[in-house]
Amino acid sequence: MSYTLRGRIDSRLAALLPLLVVCLAVGGAVHQWWPVELCVLMGATGVALDLELWRRLPYQPAWAALPLGLVELGAVMAVVYGFGLHAPLGPALALFGAGWLLALLLGQAGFPLLRLGYAEDGGELGRAGPAAGAAIVLALAGSAATYAVRLPPVVHLSAGVHRGPLVIRQREILQGSPGAIVRGGIVVAHDDVQIRDVTVVGGTNGITVDGYRNTVLDGVTVEGAKLDGIHVRLAGVVIRNCTVDMLGNRLGQGIDISFNMDKGMSIVEGCTVVGGQQGITTHSSGTEIMGNTVSRTAEQAIDIEEMSMGMASHNTVRDARGIGLYCNDRSTCMFDHNTVVGTQPDRAAGGRAAQGLAVLASFESEADLWRNRLSGNAGGVGTVTDSELRWTPTPGW
Amino acid sequence: MVGSGLAGFTAYRTLRRALPPDEIAVFGTDADPAAAWRGRAAAIRQRAMRSESNGHTGPTTFPGLAFRAARHRRSPRPLLETAADRFHPTVEEFLAHVEEARERSGWDTSLVPRRVERVRAMDGGFAVDGELFRHVLIATGHAGLNMPEELRGDPRAVHAYEPHEYASTVTVVGAGLAAATEWLNALAAGAEVVSVRRREPVRRPLTVPRPMLTKRGLASFHRLPAEERAERIRRLVAPSYPPGRAWDEPLARAAAEGRFRVEQSVNGSEQVICATGFLRGFRHDPLLARLVAEHELETVDRFVVLAPDSTVPALSDGTRTLALAGAPAAWAFPSADSLSGARYAAHHFLRRVRACRTR
Repeated sequence: MSYTLRGRIDSRLAALLPLLVVCLAVGGAVHQWWPVELCVLMGATGVALDLELWRRLPYQPAWAALPLGLVELGAVMAVVYGFGLHAPLGPALALFGAGWLLALLLGQAGFPLLRLGYAEDGGELGRAGPAAGAAIVLALAGSAATYAVRLPPVVHLSAGVHRGPLVIRQREILQGSPGAIVRGGIVVAHDDVQIRDVTVVGGTNGITVDGYRNTVLDGVTVEGAKLDGIHVRLAGVVIRNCTVDMLGNRLGQGIDISFNMDKGMSIVEGCTVVGGQQGITTHSSGTEIMGNTVSRTAEQAIDIEEMSMGMASHNTVRDARGIGLYCNDRSTCMFDHNTVVGTQPDRAAGGRAAQGLAVLASFESEADLWRNRLSGNAGGVGTVTDSELRWTPTPGW
Repeated sequence: MVGSGLAGFTAYRTLRRALPPDEIAVFGTDADPAAAWRGRAAAIRQRAMRSESNGHTGPTTFPGLAFRAARHRRSPRPLLETAADRFHPTVEEFLAHVEEARERSGWDTSLVPRRVERVRAMDGGFAVDGELFRHVLIATGHAGLNMPEELRGDPRAVHAYEPHEYASTVTVVGAGLAAATEWLNALAAGAEVVSVRRREPVRRPLTVPRPMLTKRGLASFHRLPAEERAERIRRLVAPSYPPGRAWDEPLARAAAEGRFRVEQSVNGSEQVICATGFLRGFRHDPLLARLVAEHELETVDRFVVLAPDSTVPALSDGTRTLALAGAPAAWAFPSADSLSGARYAAHHFLRRVRACRTR
């Protein structure tokens, strides 16, 4: 087919329309936006390539749909990863494949049957082309409206001290004003809660998330908690840019994320944790620990435990007592680009901790190391009880 | 419709999307729409079509002949071949498809077995030998075989599209698909072959570059000034045949054996085959020549000037339509004498008919 530019756009939009309906249905079924985002991205990428590249093709044999489709797939996946679109790979590929196949069948058979002059008009669909475009715009406008309506309400927490514990029982964004302090802790008791720019002082745990989905803690400060600074159980969380002060608390953990292996990947990123028995610890969890600074902990600075599968990357660990990076109890760990300095021996604990190790893999655990900087530590790296440390030539597992 | 050949049949099948057989009259001398084409294909012993899957008489490109062949051969191979533009239906497959389509279409019901001598515009339509019609499509086909002037009357000369056998020394005049087919035919028959041609043959898969089959190439073509457009048509429909080893290898082998050579003029061969195509231009068609003369229609060189939708602008408006299909429609569609060209004219004719409120 020798497409005109309008023919390419008409055909693409008309083929996208049924796929968009599928995407909306799938998105509604799984209560997530990625199918719609992916559909929009596929359409936008395709139209962009039509405008910039494919229009230059004077003729496109049917077989060319395959290489052109692969290029479009590459472009879509580059954008997906580049912009951090959280689309699961398998379903995303299936959706793309379905869209590609549908477009191929419609282009080769469906449109020629529906419109007499489809081939000689270079793929143009007459009034149906703009109608398809309008329908897509309408569907996306509806999606955008739905998204806006479904956004959680923003609750502003004014400056000053608010008596806690504060229990959040609805979807909301709790936005702290500068100087907003909650004394006595915050308990998240609903899905889809975001807490931003709030300082929490005291409480049994500073912030507790137990059994609720999609919690985001951004820019929170926690100090003076009796047990853990941030305590997460059976829940997926994203914790960013937090500060947790556990100085003086030898038994609590700065951030403890546990038993959420089936809740998807949790993230701890850009936080500063000072003091505590462990700075950041995970148990039976899949958590990425990235770009944090952990210092002056009493036993382990970053601790991946109890059949966890975790990655600690680009973190700085200073002046920990006992162990800097710890992979324990049948866990699988990746430590890369971390800096561990000044780890001190913990003579009271005995065992390998008494040596002040920068990295330790313990009890049938496996840890891969890549480009970590270990300096000024009392001990080096070590393994105990059928564990393994590997220096990998490439990043990742 | 005036004309009952393949162009007329393609148009008929398109019209049948909107009209019952009794609302269509097809004037022609042969009930078999493939009769003329069949004879010519047999004369040059053509076995496969130059056209591809969509070289059929249906109103839509899909399902094409590859789809049909896949069904009949019970093999996906034709579909794979057509994806790579390598599927060429056999002549038998093409003719069988025409026959099937003819039986299903109601063609015989609409056929009026009569040669039309005159089409004349009247108030509210056109008189076709005295009968009034609001919309008329003229698809009279090629006006006749083209024999070089210097070979007329030469007892050795035969046109490629006339039945013939091969002598032991054969000169083939021409450089198109028929000429190339005749080179191979004569060589296969054991003849020594001389190719006489004015120019080196153009090698391309179809008669025109593919973009010229769609709006992509046609839009700029339709904007050309008249003289330039006429020149463009002449260049586009210059003799050509497809590239490929199936053509080149037998010729190279025969040339190496001294059985094939190119010369500038006809020599002393026992037989001269003129693969020189058809008479071109409206003046060779008495019906068209009369129509142009009586209505003083605009022409350029050998072409009747047509609107991009293949209609005659001076005689078409919201209430009536006069359109050309087949070879005389080259002004609108350079490859008008192909099946794609017939479909192009048919689609636009149907649009006109549908748009006419008084039909």
